[in-house]
Amino acid sequence: MTSNSAPPSPPSPPSPLLSPILNTQFAFHRTLTDFLTIAIHTILYTRELYPQSTFITARAYNLSVHQNRHPLVCRWINSSIDALDPLLEKNTVKRVVLVIYAPSGEVLERFLFDISRFPVVDDHEKYTEFDGARGIGNVVDVNEQLRHTIRKLDYAGSKMQPLPEDCTYTLAVELRDEAEPPIGHPQPWVPSEPSLQTGETGGSERIGSDLGGVKSMPVRLVESGDFILESWIEEGAAKFKCDGL
Amino acid sequence: MGSRLEKNSELVRKRFESHKFEDEEGDEYEGSKFGGFADYFRRKKIKLQNLDADIRSSTAGNAQIFKGVCCHVNGYTQPSLNDLHHMIVSYGGVFMQYLDGKTTVTHIIASNLTPKKAIEFRRYRIVKPAWVVDSITAGKLLPWNSYRVLDEGVGQRVLAFDEGKVVSQARTQSRTYREQTKTSWYTSQVKNMAENIDDEAGAQFPSSQAVVLNGTGMYTDSSGQQPSKSIVYIQPNKRAEVPSSSQSLDASSPLKDALANAATGIGSGGIERLESFLKTSHIVPEKNATVTNPLTTPTRTSKVVLRDEMLESPTPQKSPINTPQKLRYDLTNLESPTPSPPKRVKLLADLESPTPSPPRQAEILTAEEPVALPPTKAKVLTAEEHNAILLADPHIRKSSTANPDFLKQYYSESRLHHLSAWKAELKSRCQRMAAEKSASQKQSLKRKPGSRRYIIHVDFDSFFCAVSLKSTPEYVDKPAVVAHGAGTGSEIASCNYPARAFGVKNGMWMKQALKLCPNIKVLPYDFPAYEEASKGFYEAILDVGGIIQSVSVDEALVDVSTLCLPAEDTDGFSVREGSVWREQEKADRIAQGLRTRIKEKTGCAVSVGIGGNILLAKVALRKAKPAGQHQIKPEEVLNFIAELSVQDLPGVAYSIGGKLEEIGVKSVKDVRQMTQERLITLLGPKTGKKLWDYSRGIDKTEVGEQVVRKSVSAEVNWGIRFLSQPEAEEFVQNLCTELQRRLVNEQVRGRQLTVKIMRKSAEAPLDPPKHLGHGKCDTFNKSIVLGVATNSAGIIGREAISILRSYGFSPGELRGLGVQMTKLDPIKSFGDALPDGSQRRLNFGVSAPRLVKQITEDPIDDSITPKKAKSGQPSSGPSQSHLDPIDESPTSRKPKAISSQALRQDDPIFLSPQKPRETPVHPATAISRANASDYSARKYLNMTGTQFIMPSQIDPEVLAELPPDIRSKLVAQGRKETKPRSPSPKTQSPIPRAARETSNPPLPSQVDPEVFESLPAELQTEILASYSANQAIFQAQSLLPQSPRKLRTIQNLKKTTPTKKQGPLFRSRASKQDPYSTSTQSNFVADQKDDSDYNSDTLDESFLSALPPDMQEEIIQEHRRKWLAKKRGLMTSALKDCHRPPDQPPAIQRKIRLPLRDPKPTFTTRGLSTLPELRETLKEWFEEFREDGPIEDDVKAMERYLRRVVVEERDLGKVVGVVRWMQWLVDDADGATKTNGKGLEAWSLALEGVREQVQFAVHERGLGTLDL
Repeated sequence: MTSNSAPPSPPSPPSPLLSPILNTQFAFHRTLTDFLTIAIHTILYTRELYPQSTFITARAYNLSVHQNRHPLVCRWINSSIDALDPLLEKNTVKRVVLVIYAPSGEVLERFLFDISRFPVVDDHEKYTEFDGARGIGNVVDVNEQLRHTIRKLDYAGSKMQPLPEDCTYTLAVELRDEAEPPIGHPQPWVPSEPSLQTGETGGSERIGSDLGGVKSMPVRLVESGDFILESWIEEGAAKFKCDGL
Repeated sequence: MGSRLEKNSELVRKRFESHKFEDEEGDEYEGSKFGGFADYFRRKKIKLQNLDADIRSSTAGNAQIFKGVCCHVNGYTQPSLNDLHHMIVSYGGVFMQYLDGKTTVTHIIASNLTPKKAIEFRRYRIVKPAWVVDSITAGKLLPWNSYRVLDEGVGQRVLAFDEGKVVSQARTQSRTYREQTKTSWYTSQVKNMAENIDDEAGAQFPSSQAVVLNGTGMYTDSSGQQPSKSIVYIQPNKRAEVPSSSQSLDASSPLKDALANAATGIGSGGIERLESFLKTSHIVPEKNATVTNPLTTPTRTSKVVLRDEMLESPTPQKSPINTPQKLRYDLTNLESPTPSPPKRVKLLADLESPTPSPPRQAEILTAEEPVALPPTKAKVLTAEEHNAILLADPHIRKSSTANPDFLKQYYSESRLHHLSAWKAELKSRCQRMAAEKSASQKQSLKRKPGSRRYIIHVDFDSFFCAVSLKSTPEYVDKPAVVAHGAGTGSEIASCNYPARAFGVKNGMWMKQALKLCPNIKVLPYDFPAYEEASKGFYEAILDVGGIIQSVSVDEALVDVSTLCLPAEDTDGFSVREGSVWREQEKADRIAQGLRTRIKEKTGCAVSVGIGGNILLAKVALRKAKPAGQHQIKPEEVLNFIAELSVQDLPGVAYSIGGKLEEIGVKSVKDVRQMTQERLITLLGPKTGKKLWDYSRGIDKTEVGEQVVRKSVSAEVNWGIRFLSQPEAEEFVQNLCTELQRRLVNEQVRGRQLTVKIMRKSAEAPLDPPKHLGHGKCDTFNKSIVLGVATNSAGIIGREAISILRSYGFSPGELRGLGVQMTKLDPIKSFGDALPDGSQRRLNFGVSAPRLVKQITEDPIDDSITPKKAKSGQPSSGPSQSHLDPIDESPTSRKPKAISSQALRQDDPIFLSPQKPRETPVHPATAISRANASDYSARKYLNMTGTQFIMPSQIDPEVLAELPPDIRSKLVAQGRKETKPRSPSPKTQSPIPRAARETSNPPLPSQVDPEVFESLPAELQTEILASYSANQAIFQAQSLLPQSPRKLRTIQNLKKTTPTKKQGPLFRSRASKQDPYSTSTQSNFVADQKDDSDYNSDTLDESFLSALPPDMQEEIIQEHRRKWLAKKRGLMTSALKDCHRPPDQPPAIQRKIRLPLRDPKPTFTTRGLSTLPELRETLKEWFEEFREDGPIEDDVKAMERYLRRVVVEERDLGKVVGVVRWMQWLVDDADGATKTNGKGLEAWSLALEGVREQVQFAVHERGLGTLDL
């Protein structure tokens, strides 16, 4: 991301130089959050959640990507990614999900980034190197895979049915089953609506009803050393209902 | 400095000097309140001033040298803080214990200052302690400038006054501790004392009891320069001239007061003062001839006391009525820390009596003769004095070290010595016999583990008792014991079974035995009869045959396996019908025969235990007793052992049993519940392992294993009562002579000498419970390495005596002395002519055990062992010194006869064996030292007596040409070489190692034989030596896994056959001839892999061998565990990428070791997982079966794989890719050929099925339908 233009530019996402070798938990998380920032911008662009004219092109992973130039959008994305950090440090995150809602509130699409196979490492060990070849010596490899992921996201997004007007979106986090919910003050995360909650249904039909969606579309499995990030897109039932109408 | 210092210190000084101590009513003697530290400290200082005031008042007569001086002492000083304090205060100074501020004192006394303090105190008067001492000596205050601690720096010149002129001078004094210690006060004191001591013969050492170094009295210098220390009560200065007798009354009056004080028991402080007073006031009446004036002759206390001891020690038989000496005793008594007041009064009276006539004193003292001495009094005698009294009794004298023949007598009378000597002799005889007998069958001695064994353990029933009872058969059925007397103090050596019924045990005191069984019969020792019986016993055993190991005079272990096993089956492996039973029967028969024969020969019953190993035989014997036999059969071993209590196992008694009982283990059964690790942590690695084995009936010791003697010693700890140091030293010398005798007997020389000294514990009474025994003792051991193997009593004695001296024990307190030689080198029989010669050896370091061994085998080594000229001992052989250096020069070991010959002639340097340190370094020695670090320089040593090295590869033709005697030698050498290397069938090694070993003789495979031959002989030997060293290492490692369990590991390793590379998944087109054969496709089904295949992670041998042995073992274990786990199917996918065990992390940086990931699911036996690979495979597959459609099994396998990709690998993209590729293949074929619709239909169907399965799997994961 070139830093010349656009007053509120997100903190230059592609910063592989900061973590030349991916062999600590910290480096893993940095790479992931950078990637997510880019991915969210890309999704917003391809799904036309904001007018495409509000995006500028930038360079990430040696690929031209789109970045929204509205300061509030950028701030929102950055702050939500920042809010992700503590959760990552506690190893509680299973998936990061960008959910797109219809104006009426139904779940239309979900972009999932599954990191459940990241290594679980204590917070105070986050700078400790992984043993042997378990980290990734070759950052280029990861970056290339991430680039491919972005590319495929872009492609898949543009191939999907266009969304109706006035859709909204949010970033959600699915926690690991054993993790404690991030409740406390300040509370950046709020529980999602029942239909997207994981865990026991407790008999309620609503809980988890929108999970999985009707149709899913693989994006890419990034796999290099222990950096395993799976991403796919789910399309909810509401979307096809809309189409049917 | 400056005015502030003056002002402040003046204030302090005034305050302190005006300080008066009235009584203990001041507020400083009140208790401190909680938290009132400041208050407490203030009071403490006041109290210290009280003390000073006290000193001041008591030494008012001293010159006020330090008037106006206010001192503080910093750090360690000589004399000590305490003394300085006292000196300063008593000579009018003021002393500050705590430095409130730098300006509060005028002078700070220090020997040295820390750099920080040196800066801090730079501007103050820092003086050396010598200033104080010298000032007192000089009687005036010396200028402090010449006693500066700090100066202005090295090069700084300072102004000084010299005879009225101002001069400028640079300071060049060095400030080190050495300066202080050399010129220090204490040193001079000690020097003086040492000189005094040296006047007399031998060294004297302070007793542990006498509080000689009490108070300041010790420092009183003979020169009289020192101030009097008896500051407390005696006003007249000690330096005063001998007063007249009239004055003496005055002088003694304060003494009377003091004694009165002490008698009334005012306080222990008073007594102490009295003590110091008595010391310092030099009351040594015996030096004074005039009885009328016993108290007034000032003499030099320390000196005189010591001299007195000297006087009396060499003449211990002084009559007990020795007045002066006794008087001294009384004085010493006075010093006793817990004196009883009445006695004091009596003594006081004694002292006060104006004419204490000798008879009167004698009378008093005889009443207090040693026998009647109450314990508190006895304590006060010095040990020597006590010994002197003790030895006055001629009977005791005879049986103690005072008797010149003591040692001889001791060894001739000591029962224990007799027994042990007897046993040792028997053992060596037995070994000789066994060696003679089994010389031929030595080969069969090495038995394969796991073969059936029959060990019998034969033991007399209460040997001594039974033999002794033969002469008195009437007591056979009555309780009888063997002991050296019927008195209560004698120890029971053996008791018969009726006596045991009463609870009498071996080793019990008679006293207790008589309590248990009052009418017990005590039999005397009858050593000739014992010997006779033992001889008969051993004859009978030797008749049996087998391998014999004598345990003791009355018990032996015999390995009769060879006799029991049938002739055709010497292995003890094969089991034919009834063969085991027959063998057991045979063993029983042998035992029975042995018993009857011994009974015939000796008339005593023996018991026999039979078992599969020594442990079982021993355990069985317990059951067999008395007069029976018992065999533990293999099937009952575990049950039998489980029932025993732990202490029933051999080698387990109170100590180990107690430890085990603490953790609730009583029976062997309980031991079995414990892990080996736990036992090892509890009992140590050896015992723990042994016990663990024992609890399972395992015992790996072999019968007849000859324990090499590791040490020879001579020790006496009974009857040691010395009166003087020379006496003790003479005894040590005698002991060393005895040791020499034993060393020569054992044909060994030792390189390390250990001296054991037992000294009476400080709190132990002078008379131990056992008559002339050692009682409670502190034991001191000290070893020195002699550097030269020796057995010369002279050398050993000298070293031993110097060790004894170095401890500086009072000779009277010695209770036991022992000398022991370890690190023994055998003297070869070849060198018998000079068995006690000592010769310097080359030190070959530890890294080459092989070489060391060869040295000891070198016959040249011991052949000539001349006495050195310097040794001061008569050379016991002709002077052959010109021949000796063969051992000393490393070059002589080179396989060059000429060079060594030359060296022999011109090497006249002899190394003195006695003063190794002073030995001039011979050039050869220097070379050898240099070479010691260089492995290549350590030549292959001559082993067979010829000067030439035989390359292990022998040309048969050359061999044939040689004369027969040389040939046999060479052949023998060759055999010797190859034997250990040839892999025995049992100790199989893994392939790489085996391969290395099979290539072993004659040359290492890396060496080209031709090149080797063309080399000069010297180089050849060097190469051989270096390779053989390598091989030695490998051998050592191949020998490592010796326990049967580890062996199995190795065997497993061996079994692994290199797996063939799996063929391609599908037959190539070449196999098209038979396209219908299903076998072409069965390949495709991912079948169960051969689980013995783990070639991929067989251990790397070279890596393994580079590790230390314990780590090797760990890795092998780990490896094996993994392999087993895999074999059992715990690791489900033994597929393409097998994870190596994670490497050890480098020690420095800690790294996170991530848990192992599940391996990726793979497709087909080729372990495919990437999309391009899959596509390729699919394409081949499709091409192959385009016409006929896919085989059902293959499709199923494909579905299974894709399902795993979805669920386990979670790579949806790949699945989609694969399915789409299939779709494309089908569509493509459809569009292109349109030939055989049938095959394509089948393919489409299969594709549908795959899609369905994939969707199913995706749904299972909770995702929506994939767009395929």
